[in-house]
Amino acid sequence: MSKQTQAKSNWGTSYGELVWREFAKSRLSIVCLSFIVFLFAVAILAPFLANDKPFVIRIDGQLHFPIFRNLGASDYCIFLAAVVGCSQLLLIKRNHRHVDPSIRGAALWRQICISSSIILIGVILLFVFVPRRLDATDYKAMVACRQATDAIFAPIPYGYARTNLKLREQPPSWEHLLGTDDVGSDTLCRLIHGSRISLSVGFVAVGISTVIGILVGAILGYFGGKVDFIGMRIVEIMMAIPAFFLIITIVAFFARSLLNIMIIIGITSWTGNARFIRAEFFKLRKQDFVQAAVSLGLPLRSILFRHMLPNGIAPVLVNATFGIAGAIFIEAALSFLGFGVAPPTPSWGQMLSLGVSTTGRFLWWLTLFPGLAIFFTVLAYNLVGEALRDAIDPKLRTR
Amino acid sequence: MNDNGTLLSVEDISTHFFTEEGVVKAVQDVSFAIMKGQTFALVGESGCGKSVTALSIMRLVPEPQGKIVSGEIVFEGKKLLSLSEKGMRQIRGNEIAMIFQEPMTSLNPVYTVGNQIVEAIKLHQKKSTSQAWSDAVEMLRRVGISDPQQRVREYPHQMSGGMRQRIMIAMAVSCEPVLLIADEPTTALDVTIQAQILDLLDRLQEQNGMSILLITHDLGVVAERADDVAVMYASRIVEVAESRQLFAEPLHPYTQGLLESLPRLGITAGRLQTISGTVPEPLHFPAGCKFHPRCPVGREDRRCQTVEPKLREVRPGRCVACWYARDRRQRAEDRRQSPESAAVDEG
Repeated sequence: MSKQTQAKSNWGTSYGELVWREFAKSRLSIVCLSFIVFLFAVAILAPFLANDKPFVIRIDGQLHFPIFRNLGASDYCIFLAAVVGCSQLLLIKRNHRHVDPSIRGAALWRQICISSSIILIGVILLFVFVPRRLDATDYKAMVACRQATDAIFAPIPYGYARTNLKLREQPPSWEHLLGTDDVGSDTLCRLIHGSRISLSVGFVAVGISTVIGILVGAILGYFGGKVDFIGMRIVEIMMAIPAFFLIITIVAFFARSLLNIMIIIGITSWTGNARFIRAEFFKLRKQDFVQAAVSLGLPLRSILFRHMLPNGIAPVLVNATFGIAGAIFIEAALSFLGFGVAPPTPSWGQMLSLGVSTTGRFLWWLTLFPGLAIFFTVLAYNLVGEALRDAIDPKLRTR
Repeated sequence: MNDNGTLLSVEDISTHFFTEEGVVKAVQDVSFAIMKGQTFALVGESGCGKSVTALSIMRLVPEPQGKIVSGEIVFEGKKLLSLSEKGMRQIRGNEIAMIFQEPMTSLNPVYTVGNQIVEAIKLHQKKSTSQAWSDAVEMLRRVGISDPQQRVREYPHQMSGGMRQRIMIAMAVSCEPVLLIADEPTTALDVTIQAQILDLLDRLQEQNGMSILLITHDLGVVAERADDVAVMYASRIVEVAESRQLFAEPLHPYTQGLLESLPRLGITAGRLQTISGTVPEPLHFPAGCKFHPRCPVGREDRRCQTVEPKLREVRPGRCVACWYARDRRQRAEDRRQSPESAAVDEG
């Protein structure tokens, strides 16, 4: 390790490395970050962790691979994005160590362009060519009746949409580690699949709000004056609308789809980012290096997004981590109120709402486990956000 | 002054800032001309409008508060104030470059210095990335940075103030501008580095044949480096002269006061001379000549208190904005003619 750091120090330490070093000093933030990474792994691998279809099964002497046959286009998209994303991270890390800074910027751009086009093309191809299958075969029954042999099931051999009315509202047992819900679905399985919803809501919604916020804030902050005056009034009008009720209203009008929820959360929560970026740009605009960039005749695009944005993005990054927590929370609340994703798609908030059953019984396992999942996820994001804020600006540290 | 050699002429520029407390007239009716290959110095104390003049030339006055309200700037026959923003962008960096006062903050902290120089080179000259990088290394070598191959890959925070100022100069000069505006390039640096930076500017000027607009409050620097000097006081130019003449025979009472308040080698004096009073606040400039409350003549003269003197040519190549600008010979004549006014003159 020390050898690597030495070799690198010849090229100077970048801002990112400094922030990471400061971030990694706190054990708590590392634990939280690992938890988030773990959640991501669970979300990505959900069909392999909890599935009522076996990996392999021998029927009439022939081998079948039901899990893989039943993966949908969206599953493949997630795998593709995960693989490309991980390889990007590795490549960036490798570049930092081995690629000369002179061509690092160009290399990074090329990488981002290539990977995003791979993902884009992949998603289109997958949605066009991967057929939708509805395989309702009960493989477990086949194994039980000895029609099939050599079956290897996932660790949690239940499907999230599979109902079993004989086993309704069962408390935790060895059979169902976290119990079952009102239609007899396994809670742990639904919890695992629900993580996909929570994480994707968090990321897409925050992605949308960050992009809008940065664009609006950059323009307001750089130009100032009348543009800023009018723009800020619009931002204030947006802020004055209670977002949650707006979201409920819109969701009630349109379909209860995940995409709608993500977009609506995104376009109602950009105001904070816009204000952060505006304030940063106000400050940066008077800085000498921005003046120097202008005096070199650089185009506006370069000044705004190459020279000013990287210096002013810190509060937005911090805000984004809080925003992810907030979006997860809003999605859970919407689902709890019955405005979230439609069943049988599992979502933590929706599971939480099943805690009080129609028969009036209090099903503690349906309240506790999804509740803990929401709690820890939101907590982890908030703590990471706080650690990131401290790492980026040590002067802000409250301790 | 012959027009053929004029690179930049600033004609009656006024730049005002519209603040909540009132209009700050930061620059008023400032005119001067810079010849090709010349070093022109703009001297004055802080807040007198030197930097705003420079920013006005670059059209970098912070909008919307600041505005160039009148005047014209002609650069190589082009009227800069009527150019579009796009046209101005082609002039900035390419033909007029600027160095700022604070080397510590005028480089972007998130990029290596090489990245920043390369961006400037690639913008103005059609060159490939690898060519631009070798140019950047060459520029660093020219501004006297040791181990440029290594330094070009470093971040600004790894360098000292003097080195950063060299980088800034390298960046500004990399596109071979015709005019370099140096806004107090040495103020933030210690004396030994100051001399090195000024020598570097001299050398680059010789190599590229560019003109330099040197903005400073350091009269020592002016005496050594400048060809022509303009002295600014309270947002106006009060005196323009060739550097040697200005030091030999200052005509404006402010310039005289400035030179008298300099410590001189070889003369043991008790206390240094000072100019009494303070610089007027830009929101409350006095009526008439702005220097009159501090001027030995102006304090008692009606004309100085009511009418502001314009910059006028008193002798070929010498302009002064003072009603009573007299050199020694003229003052002696005055004394012979009317003893009363001579008494005021001497006080």
